[in-house]
Amino acid sequence: MINGSITTNARGEEVIGEGIKFERIRRITGYLVGTVDRFNNAKRAEVRDRVKHSLSL
Amino acid sequence: MEVRQRMITTIIKRDGREVPFELEKIANAIYKALQVTGNREYKAAEELAGQVQTVLEERFTDKAPTVEQIQDIVEETLSNAGYSRTAKEYILYRAERTRIREMNTRLMKVYEDLTFQSADENDIKRENANIDGDTAMGTMLKYGSEGAKQFYEMFVLKPEHAKAHREGDIHIHDMDFLTLTTTCCQIDIEKLFDGGFCTGHGFLREPNSIASYSALACIAIQSNQNDQHGGQSIPNFDFGMAKGVAKSYRKNYLANLGKALELLADLPDGLGTAKAIADQVRAEEGLDPILANDNGYQEAEALRLRERIDPALIERVQRFAVDKAHKETDRDTYQAMEALVHNLNTMHSRAGAQIPFSSLNYGTDTSPEGRMVIKNLLLATEAGLGNGETPIFPIHIFKVKEGVSYNPEDPNYDLFKLACRVSAKRLFPNFAFLDAPFNLQYYKPGDVRTEVAYMGCRTRVIANRYDPTREIVTGRGNLSFTSINLPRIAIKANGNIDNFFEDLDRKFDLVIDQLLERYKIQAEKRVRNFPFLMGQGVWIDSDRLGPDDKIGEILKHGTLTVGFIGLAETLKALTGKHHGESKEAQNLGLDIIGYLRRRCDEAGKKYGMNITLIGTPAEGLSGRFVGIDRKRFGVIPGVTDREYYTNSFHVPVYYPISAFEKLRIEAPYHALTNGGHISYVELDGDLVQNVDAFETIIRFMKEIGIGYGSINHPVDRDPVCGYTGIIGETCPRCGRRDGEPVSVEKLRQLGVYINYNSDSIGYTGDIHEEADRIPNPLDLSEAATATPTTTCETEEASL
Repeated sequence: MINGSITTNARGEEVIGEGIKFERIRRITGYLVGTVDRFNNAKRAEVRDRVKHSLSL
Repeated sequence: MEVRQRMITTIIKRDGREVPFELEKIANAIYKALQVTGNREYKAAEELAGQVQTVLEERFTDKAPTVEQIQDIVEETLSNAGYSRTAKEYILYRAERTRIREMNTRLMKVYEDLTFQSADENDIKRENANIDGDTAMGTMLKYGSEGAKQFYEMFVLKPEHAKAHREGDIHIHDMDFLTLTTTCCQIDIEKLFDGGFCTGHGFLREPNSIASYSALACIAIQSNQNDQHGGQSIPNFDFGMAKGVAKSYRKNYLANLGKALELLADLPDGLGTAKAIADQVRAEEGLDPILANDNGYQEAEALRLRERIDPALIERVQRFAVDKAHKETDRDTYQAMEALVHNLNTMHSRAGAQIPFSSLNYGTDTSPEGRMVIKNLLLATEAGLGNGETPIFPIHIFKVKEGVSYNPEDPNYDLFKLACRVSAKRLFPNFAFLDAPFNLQYYKPGDVRTEVAYMGCRTRVIANRYDPTREIVTGRGNLSFTSINLPRIAIKANGNIDNFFEDLDRKFDLVIDQLLERYKIQAEKRVRNFPFLMGQGVWIDSDRLGPDDKIGEILKHGTLTVGFIGLAETLKALTGKHHGESKEAQNLGLDIIGYLRRRCDEAGKKYGMNITLIGTPAEGLSGRFVGIDRKRFGVIPGVTDREYYTNSFHVPVYYPISAFEKLRIEAPYHALTNGGHISYVELDGDLVQNVDAFETIIRFMKEIGIGYGSINHPVDRDPVCGYTGIIGETCPRCGRRDGEPVSVEKLRQLGVYINYNSDSIGYTGDIHEEADRIPNPLDLSEAATATPTTTCETEEASL
């Protein structure tokens, strides 16, 4: 259960999720971390650089 | 000319305080310097001090001199009086005092930053992503860690090792634990549970159901984690848990048989009868009810049931018991695995309120019980945690083996496919390849201790130079490891390959010396320093020692490991290209790593110990070396122009290359790095939708001799609507943007709105549905010659 509270927006609708960020699980040195916020600066830089590998032979 | 003089009465210390002038202090300092040059005359020191005082009084007529100024004059006086050697010693003494003072200041500055900066501002707090640097315990761990490192650097390490570490020629990993313990261990869970064990208070009996087996596995990992600074792995998880499944099945079978006897045969106390018969069959024929139901137990039971109930009912009663027992045991196993995954993600028992680094190796148990464990562990991982989140721990390593799990006709092939499906969603399991030649050489079919196991981080311990009769994984692990700054050696070599190898040689010798020194300290420890690891016999042969025995000999089953980082940058510095872009560079890379491996083998032979080579799993280190090198050598394109050095022998993450080419280039290094290795590929696209492509890559890894491999892909999740998959700017399910709200009505329409109270809503996964999933049916024709039909766009990762 997320503890988001229901609020009302400008149009009078009930909304939820203000301030709730997406989780981005990434692998660092073999184990997973739920957010890159915890990575040290060097690893953050490395994650930014990562390109995707194509599957063409 | 009048020489103005003034009595010196005070001096200014470095911290600004004005204190009384004491001539004796100057004399003492000079005396120390004199002693080094062989002069033991205190009188000479006094006389020189007197001369210093005279000069001070001439030059400092209106204000007190500072400590620095006094020391300058001491040097000058010594030189002028003909004591040039003494002057040199005095200068060295000053330099040493300055260094120590700076270290104290540096430590205090580190403590200051730890105290007053948030983790976001302070890189040291984020050295290890597993620690929440903003918590009290996380910070306390850092205080202890930084203080210990300082102490060891000043008073325990050999000065040349401390210097090499400090200056970034080498990196001594986990230096904060230098005098305390060893790195990691592969826990034999079968042996540990047999007969029960103790964690320090109270004895834990041998468990009797899969639920207790799973709970005790967590306790074992947690207890062992308290004795070591590295990770904890279980190399035989499926085999270990299988016994628990068997015990649960027997219980469930008898309970259901009992119910059936009461309901269908009107037998009072059905359970009592069921148990009595079962005990009798066990005693007289050595048989138990088992999952496979092919051992003759039911026949033996039927004979005895004839005496008690209408024979016509026996078949129905037994069928009911088998059917229900099977389903319930499956359900029990699922719940036990689910609890395990939850536990391993939430128990904060490692120093600094960390969760233990747990790894589980499994995949080769083909018994029905073992298969039930593997299947349910994978399904529980797929289902995720309470809100469907991806579990961070344990790290799963699925063992791929021809004849067991790799080919469609193999007994555990369905589990291999399930492993691929789960990994495509949850990033675990990783895959270990038992058929890689360097792993296969130890494999003895039917003996799980000879199946290579990897720690989650990639550490590998199987060969055993110290005791070649026990080339097994259980009860062994790494003692310590130290990494060489390869890129720096390359930079300094200035393109000269011979110079590079000479310098590498020297660094290697230094590292071996340091590893052995550290081992000597570890060897002095006794069994009672490791209440669980040694006291409970987890480490190999520790059960043969008493509490006060030293552990030096049995530690030799472990590995001392030399590591390296940045092969790509090294090759770039030496040849202008890294090994992803040039065959020549690749050849040189193999030469370099091959050379290191040969030297490790020689050293191992010479000292009779397990000395291995690892492609270092660098976290904090990836930034440390390059930072120092950039300061020293400037920005060198492709070498020091990034904030990190590329991990081990990997092709740089930023280099566009196909997955298969990257694996082809990296595979030969797996054979050379016997202390541990891993290769990753980075994929885009939602692999959950294309498990076949996933499996194709894993199969390719196996075919080209990779030892340990894994696939990285983005796993994102929206906590509001529960969507798990790729999320770019907006959530594909509910459409909201990061941090922005979505309407409750929209969530209702999507069917993910669950209102438990008026203040909160959210998504919860349907655990029952997920538990009922079975692996997809096989299409053998497709699997045999699969070529990837998916091409994923190559793009830079953006966050």
